[in-house]
Amino acid sequence: MNARWKKRVQCIGILTLMSAPFTAGAASTATAQIVSAANAFLSTLDVKQRQSALFEFDDETQRARWSNLPASMVPRAGVSLKELNDAQRSAALALVSSALSRRGFEKVQEIMEGDEILKIAGGNNPIFGKDLYYISILGTPSEKTPWMLQFGGHHLALNITIAGERGLLTPSLIGAQPALYTSNGKTIRPLGQESDKALALLTALDVSQRKQTILSFRLADLVLGPGQDGKTIQPEGLKASAMNERQRAMLLDLISEWTSMIHEAAAVARLAELKADIDETWFAWSGPATAAQGQNITAYYRIQGPHLVIEYAPQRLGGDPSMHVHTMYRDPTNDYGRGPGTK
Amino acid sequence: MKTKFIVATGILLLPGGAAFGHRLDEYLQATIISVEKDHVHADMRLVPGVAVSSIVLASIDTNRDGVISEAEQRTYAELVLRDLSITVDGQSTKPTLISWTFPAPEEMKEGLGVIDIEFKVELMRGGPERTIAIENHHQSAISAYLVNCLIPRDPNIRVLSQSRNETQSLYRLDYAQADGDVSALP
Repeated sequence: MNARWKKRVQCIGILTLMSAPFTAGAASTATAQIVSAANAFLSTLDVKQRQSALFEFDDETQRARWSNLPASMVPRAGVSLKELNDAQRSAALALVSSALSRRGFEKVQEIMEGDEILKIAGGNNPIFGKDLYYISILGTPSEKTPWMLQFGGHHLALNITIAGERGLLTPSLIGAQPALYTSNGKTIRPLGQESDKALALLTALDVSQRKQTILSFRLADLVLGPGQDGKTIQPEGLKASAMNERQRAMLLDLISEWTSMIHEAAAVARLAELKADIDETWFAWSGPATAAQGQNITAYYRIQGPHLVIEYAPQRLGGDPSMHVHTMYRDPTNDYGRGPGTK
Repeated sequence: MKTKFIVATGILLLPGGAAFGHRLDEYLQATIISVEKDHVHADMRLVPGVAVSSIVLASIDTNRDGVISEAEQRTYAELVLRDLSITVDGQSTKPTLISWTFPAPEEMKEGLGVIDIEFKVELMRGGPERTIAIENHHQSAISAYLVNCLIPRDPNIRVLSQSRNETQSLYRLDYAQADGDVSALP
């Protein structure tokens, strides 16, 4: 993490502290705080920047304008962090932070930091870097009417719908490359828990369950990645109704790695919804059933239920699949808040 | 603050600044099918990686003028379908091309181009339990395949099983079809 980036993160912390007394009074709910952060961000923008950042809530083109690829390859709309001054950038990141949990925002920072590493490793390669992340708002920030916050760039696409007190994070693409690096002497694995918890669950299955879980064919990529909105594929693998209580709890804990990225109140509601579905939820695995100590798995896995699709797909590009991971998080019944109750 | 890779071999840089995040040495052929009462609909998404794009482009831009003409697009889409062996209940059947879209050659050279081909297979009346098998021979030396079936929209149709070989070049779908009486489905 370089000094400038560190300063920005510190800025967010200061901004959060500064806004705390205000939000405690005027913005008492999570949604109120997010709306407040959104309005604070918009107030820092000039007219042209606001025009770039704002879209209609039902703008289907903007909704679907996300990718795992760098923005130089698949152009995004909105405003990039590169176009913002320090105060605007702090307000943008404070907005993203307000919609996420502490760990959720930490993951986002780790993914962006990874892209900065790619930039440096590539000789200051201009197609990478933490400046190349875009923020946009679809609709009008409101405590009552649905609106969306989009934030993303290389290996990151957060589509956050706020609908009253509901907060939805689907569809979101969360990836990492490098998926393991050291920063300031600390080992960083942005998606390490997603790897470790999945392997622990697979290991906890008995021989017969593993036979059902492990698919006999290779899965080279995400099935329901960018551009695949609105599709629900036939589930495969082991149904959680055939798991014991401990295994089901492990599955739910694995799922929580995605659901808990959003702010706590929304995460609790989402996990409760998925817990109710747990017997109808499937777990499938393709690839090696082991991983080196401290390293990510190189296997693909999928978790699918009536209101959930999670895919974890290591990528061969870069040489070592454990170092390059794409994951996808969807709610086939409510991506972009299209489902009942959020329109 | 110091940051470093633990596994430096994870980096791959390509000439011209194009690196990471897109396909490299495989031709991804991802197919999603949906089963209806009287036909099977399929969407194929074909993504040639950077290292194999010249092979794929050569079989599309057959006159080598650097442009993918309408005629070349159609010819290639038909070639892809000819490379599929499709059987319904053991009987060989021919797919019908519905639509196709192609990226610019430049996008394909960068491993970013996506070819979309949509086709369907007509289904004659059959028994209550049916089998569809698709074998994809197209560019098998360089391809990675994905084949999946959507959950049927028609409540009279229920997927019984999907099976594939290791590469997914061979896919088999077994499903049951009721004739109005959903309770009869297994």
